[in-house]
Amino acid sequence: MINSKATAQWEGNLKSGRGTMKPAHASDVPFSLGTRFEGQTGSNPEEVIGAALAGCFSMALSVGLEQAGAQPKNIRTSATVSLDKDGPGFAIKAIALETEVEASGIDAQKFEAVAQETKKQCPVSKALASVPSLTLKATLK
Amino acid sequence: MKPEHAAEIAFSLGTRFEGASGSNPEELLGAAFAGCFSMALAAALEQAGTAPKSVRTSARVTVERQGWGGSGATKAPFEIFAVELTTEVDAPGMDEGRLREIVDVTRKHCPVGKALGSVPKLSVTASLARGSPSA
Repeated sequence: MINSKATAQWEGNLKSGRGTMKPAHASDVPFSLGTRFEGQTGSNPEEVIGAALAGCFSMALSVGLEQAGAQPKNIRTSATVSLDKDGPGFAIKAIALETEVEASGIDAQKFEAVAQETKKQCPVSKALASVPSLTLKATLK
Repeated sequence: MKPEHAAEIAFSLGTRFEGASGSNPEELLGAAFAGCFSMALAAALEQAGTAPKSVRTSARVTVERQGWGGSGATKAPFEIFAVELTTEVDAPGMDEGRLREIVDVTRKHCPVGKALGSVPKLSVTASLARGSPSA
């Protein structure tokens, strides 16, 4: 069993208040109503969850490729998290992953199969299984 | 890992699964949920007629080992089994009973909470900060 920790706080009310997220071993990530819902420059919880999924997926894909007999050199993954109206509030309706991989010793078809399977199996993907759409576009360079 | 508008966060097998000091995807997931929840709770406290001063939340994310997968399979041996939040609220005029009701609703409505609905154990323990009157 492995425990990881993080903290967050919100000071003040919704409109003029400010938030901070802090993974235990990373810097503070500030956010506000503006940076989350009103298009202002800055971070928000959805960016952080996207980074968590992209990190988890990239690590798991290196393991999957190795297990498939390939030699992964470089895996670059981006995540786009889409927040949408959901009844009176909001919900994460979609997460789109795009990965670009440099690896030798694997063909395109096998690569696609390993990548799609990894998307289903990485721990953060499984934790996010309630998100209606979780897609992956994988490119072998 | 890099949230678009935040600093890069390094991790490795060691910092994720072997107790080496450093971050990992689970810390980020915990930070995202704690942030989402804290913001949503401040909004809900306001709607309930109080003026929230601060909501401070800590998250603990527990990964369980499921065994090392099958031969040559890409089956992941780890599962995020629990995400547990502990929150301390400073909101003058709020009492513990009402706070608990508001927390229960908020946890189900915050977008990251909804996205994590498949995690076997999701919990929030809430209390009022000292100094808040508990009517």
